[in-house]
Amino acid sequence: MYYQIEKNEITNLLDHWMKLAGVFAPTEKGQFTVFENLMHGDELRINGPHNTRYPPKSLFLPQSERLFTLKNGNLVEPKINNEPRIVFGIRPCDAHALTLLDTVFLTDQYKDPYWQAERERTILVGLGCDEPCASCFCTTVGSGPFETRGLDILFIPLNEKYIIKQVTEKGGSLLTDLRKVPDTIETEIQKLEQKAINSLPIAFETIDIREKLYKLFSDAYWLKVSQSCLGCGVCTFLCPTCYCFDIVDEAQRGERVRNWDTCMFRIYSQEASGHNPRPSRFERTRQRLMHKYAYWLDSINEIGCTGCGRCVRYCPVGLDIRDMIRKAQNWEVVE
Amino acid sequence: MTDNNTNPYKPMPMRISRAYYESNDHSLKTFELDFLGASDCDYFFAHYNPGQFCQLSIFNKGEAPFGVASAAWEGKFVRFTVQKMGTFTQAIHRLKVDDQIGMRGPLGNGFPLDMWRGKNLVIVGGGCAFSTLYALTKHIQHPDFRNDYNELIVIYGARNSGLCMYKQDIQSWYDRDDMQLHQAIDVPENEWLHHVGYVPDVVREVAPSPDNAVAIVCGPPIMTKFTLPALTDLGFAPEAIFTSLEKRMKCGIGKCGRCNIGPAYICKDGPVFSLAELQSLPADI
Repeated sequence: MYYQIEKNEITNLLDHWMKLAGVFAPTEKGQFTVFENLMHGDELRINGPHNTRYPPKSLFLPQSERLFTLKNGNLVEPKINNEPRIVFGIRPCDAHALTLLDTVFLTDQYKDPYWQAERERTILVGLGCDEPCASCFCTTVGSGPFETRGLDILFIPLNEKYIIKQVTEKGGSLLTDLRKVPDTIETEIQKLEQKAINSLPIAFETIDIREKLYKLFSDAYWLKVSQSCLGCGVCTFLCPTCYCFDIVDEAQRGERVRNWDTCMFRIYSQEASGHNPRPSRFERTRQRLMHKYAYWLDSINEIGCTGCGRCVRYCPVGLDIRDMIRKAQNWEVVE
Repeated sequence: MTDNNTNPYKPMPMRISRAYYESNDHSLKTFELDFLGASDCDYFFAHYNPGQFCQLSIFNKGEAPFGVASAAWEGKFVRFTVQKMGTFTQAIHRLKVDDQIGMRGPLGNGFPLDMWRGKNLVIVGGGCAFSTLYALTKHIQHPDFRNDYNELIVIYGARNSGLCMYKQDIQSWYDRDDMQLHQAIDVPENEWLHHVGYVPDVVREVAPSPDNAVAIVCGPPIMTKFTLPALTDLGFAPEAIFTSLEKRMKCGIGKCGRCNIGPAYICKDGPVFSLAELQSLPADI
């Protein structure tokens, strides 16, 4: 089912949605855009060349999240917030990432109640990428600029309009007042999509990448590609599929919290005995790359990278994961 | 805790019912914990399998995994032996009878007891890692389970006799006719009547037969490293050798990311792995 809206009506639409639920969308913060709870539709900023600096995973797995509060010596769970909310303007790569993270947080054996609550109360309204950036490589890793996986609704920019694609029934509830468009619009959308796809070069070959990385496990390749890494961890903090966390107690606040953590830090895997399975940067780089391009494939047969390009854009020394994978594919393994 | 509508991060409140030093240098202390919630107790014993671990936690001191050192039939309590290493284990050591502590578990897979039915078991442990092997041995010794397994050989080494755990009970195992016990210390001591030497050497000396047998090895990394080849030399296949691993952990339920070896997580896919499984994983330990 397709609907449409003029681009200049988007502010009004968001204002209308705000009466139904909280609306989270990209807005300006310093030099960047971030997802925040908007007070007015005109705070929306989606015209910049880049995706938000922070991935919207932070709406589901906050950088610091309270797990329990200490009351009379007991750890008490915070009240679960189940008020509905709308996340508008999420890009297909970031929505795809949420579906990958669901396979971690919502397993049959253990459901993460915090993640589950945030997922269940959210309607995801995506924004298709008619003009992908130079750092984007979603098509290389099995996604695409108009991919709807994980989304309830997709907005597709078409000239002065947005064509709105209803993806799930849940999404339909927000679209009832909008003008319908006949399904014949699909041809035009496909043309637009093809144009966007054509503007995205294939960044590297993914065939047999898992096997290749396993073969390289003990190779000098890792020393080579991690040489200029500072170990700052920004690639993992801003990655939409990185989810590692630490659990710590904030004594003064009387709270047990979980904070984003990163495999790029030495202390991440430091053991009480003094032993560290990943004592230097090359082992930690190997963990980051192999988690995304080998271990995810082992566990769910999908690459754990959605090609958003944040790690490429924000690396302070210009390390480029695309380049690292290309190097891996072309590396001669010394048996 | 695994039941879907409960919070897997929430510790169960436990009361310390017994606390005593296990070693004469006071580096090892054993705690027995009672359940303060009846449903927690039911949950625990409906799921517990020897070889599993729990997360113990004290607010503002930390949370860390410890192997369970008791068998379910011993009573409605959970035993842990804690080695003093850092600030959190020091805080645990300071706890006294009637103090409270948080516990999450049981976590991990535990020993594949069903797979071992009808086999001879060779249990090889060293140092405080013997705690889960103690739970395993206690479990098997119970008359209801003993006939499920064939011969039982236990080889247990410690650096010196003062570090030998569960002394009185283990001493009584010499009187049992349904098992063989071999204890070892690293260097000779007066009045020590058992083996002297490192565990891998004792394994070679005892030379258990690999026929219809599985070997279970838990110990410090250096002991495990040299014991695995000793067992292989004796003819144990990689599928017949099991070990229990440890890594730094936070969540204990496969979410927080850090205890992986390749695609496997020690907390949810382990801590017990066969040597064959480990050989198929990258060397990231």
